Amino acid sequence: MVKSGSGASKHPGPGGLSVGLAVASVRLGVGNVGLAVLSVGLAGAGPDCRWLLASSTAVNVLTDRPRAKRRRITSVEVLCVVLLVAILGQSWLQDVLNVPALRTGSTIFVAVCVQALPFLVLGVLISGAIAAFVPARVLRRALPRNTAAAVGVAGLAGVALPGCECASVPVARRLMGQGVAPAAALTFLLAAPAVNPVVLVATAVAFPGRPEMVLARFLGSLATAVVMGLLWARWGKLGWIVERALQRLPDEGRGRWATFAEIARTDLVEAGGFLVLGALISAALNVLVPPSWFAVLGGQLVLGVVVMAVLAVVLALCSEADAFVAASLTALPLLPKLVFLVVGPAIDVKLFALQAGTFGRSFALRFAPVTFVVAVACALVVGTLLIGGAR
Amino acid sequence: MRRETQNVLLVLLGGALLKIGINGDYLRYVKPSQQVWVIAGGAVMAALGAIAIVRDLVARGRTGDGHHHHLARSAWLLVVPVLAVFLVAPPALGSDSVTRTEARAPAQSQAVFPPLPAGDVIPLSLTDFVTRAGWDSGGSLNGRTVRLTGFVTHTGDSVLLARMVITCCAADAYPLKVRMLGPAGYPDDTWLDVTGQVVPGTATKANRFTPEFTVLSANRIPQPADPYED
Repeated sequence: MVKSGSGASKHPGPGGLSVGLAVASVRLGVGNVGLAVLSVGLAGAGPDCRWLLASSTAVNVLTDRPRAKRRRITSVEVLCVVLLVAILGQSWLQDVLNVPALRTGSTIFVAVCVQALPFLVLGVLISGAIAAFVPARVLRRALPRNTAAAVGVAGLAGVALPGCECASVPVARRLMGQGVAPAAALTFLLAAPAVNPVVLVATAVAFPGRPEMVLARFLGSLATAVVMGLLWARWGKLGWIVERALQRLPDEGRGRWATFAEIARTDLVEAGGFLVLGALISAALNVLVPPSWFAVLGGQLVLGVVVMAVLAVVLALCSEADAFVAASLTALPLLPKLVFLVVGPAIDVKLFALQAGTFGRSFALRFAPVTFVVAVACALVVGTLLIGGAR
Repeated sequence: MRRETQNVLLVLLGGALLKIGINGDYLRYVKPSQQVWVIAGGAVMAALGAIAIVRDLVARGRTGDGHHHHLARSAWLLVVPVLAVFLVAPPALGSDSVTRTEARAPAQSQAVFPPLPAGDVIPLSLTDFVTRAGWDSGGSLNGRTVRLTGFVTHTGDSVLLARMVITCCAADAYPLKVRMLGPAGYPDDTWLDVTGQVVPGTATKANRFTPEFTVLSANRIPQPADPYED
């Protein structure tokens, strides 16, 4: 998974040439970024197009230089063609998207990406930092040897990662790679997005005068995470998780910072694609799910719980915002709202795509449905105890 | 997908985030408070791609040809937001979302609201206006002239002034609506500054807290930098 540039013989001649070219191209690249930044305000797509093409061709020229002998079509060329076609077809593209539903969908798609990508970046930075700076033995010593105790500690450790659910996927994967028991890492994965202070404060603001809602959310989410961790410890099979997710980093002589940058980069590329997939699905469902779903739920508790649980999955809202959405559905009793708040950060379409990409399909297909059922059950139990069912 | 291509995509996507973070277009998609996240996230992403490009080039100088056969087909999807931001630049949510999303009653925070400040025309957010119209038993809006900003949308025969409210990003947006009595002939998504008075008692649960508003004057305005309320 991690590639290194070491272990090959030296070719001084072409080497000097490509370093020279590298410097030239980096200058070119930075110049173009500058151009794009300066073009802010000069509305219109002209400078953007030039930047897109210039930077990709700059790299293209360079990277193809050493292989000039055997002409093969690589992904670099494909990317250039894609960009070129898109730029030439820009007005056509804009016309096609100028249907109200598609326009709304594309706005929501970009919104989910813009909202979630920075959190994913935070997640891969933490993942890279764990890989580069926290030796596996330190992590092992920090967690109790007993799996059940480790699951509990991991659940509470979720309090320390303020952010959206996207950040926790790469972190959990890296924890596994560094030798943390998968049950504990998965507990952390489920707990972190739901029990951190930012989310709890947002919930308190959204439900003024109802502190039991905050407590119920905290306990429901923590219970979901811990139950899932224990279930995994009892029945989970390591074989469901793809091998590359568990791969230990090769202990080679690279600098720590180099490892950090490389891990963060690889994680970002791998998870980023799936985040985009999740954003596409979420945008499509946002436009397709009829608003009347919210309206018919009035007094029907069972239907309300089912629909809110499904909506939590398909809408894929960020865990800092879902409390406000739930609070604004005044017709609903509190219990379905709690289900919405507990299910959403544990499993939604965006997270499912991320998990499938990071841990493999065979893991996600088993883990996600069980998470859904456990989350609904935990929310119902905690809700009945704390907020008294149908009120 | 080859490593070089992945790195180019990271630089492009990071650049896209930086661009909208700096020129203010990010306000069409997320809240103002997230500007720092958008810019920092974009900068780090672009930097990770750029560092990898430089390191690869330096390493290639030393090692000749690399062997890069890393399968990451999912990474192709990163092209989609790059194209969407640079070439399509989707607009802020407008009247289509109003018809698509149920209006939601603002949370009832108190029964009696503080009185409006003194003055002839009081600028109010739609959130404040609709909340007071629906919940204020003290009737602080009655008889007062207020100024509201929003865009025009139509349902049936009525002309509505609407504004989307977001808490995190446009995916969780919901509309606030005011039924305007008076102006006509504005197409959907025209932004207006209107002054007028509430018709007391018109924001009820039955009409999802859509108060009626007698319009005294209406001015076309350009879309505000931040098209949403929060």
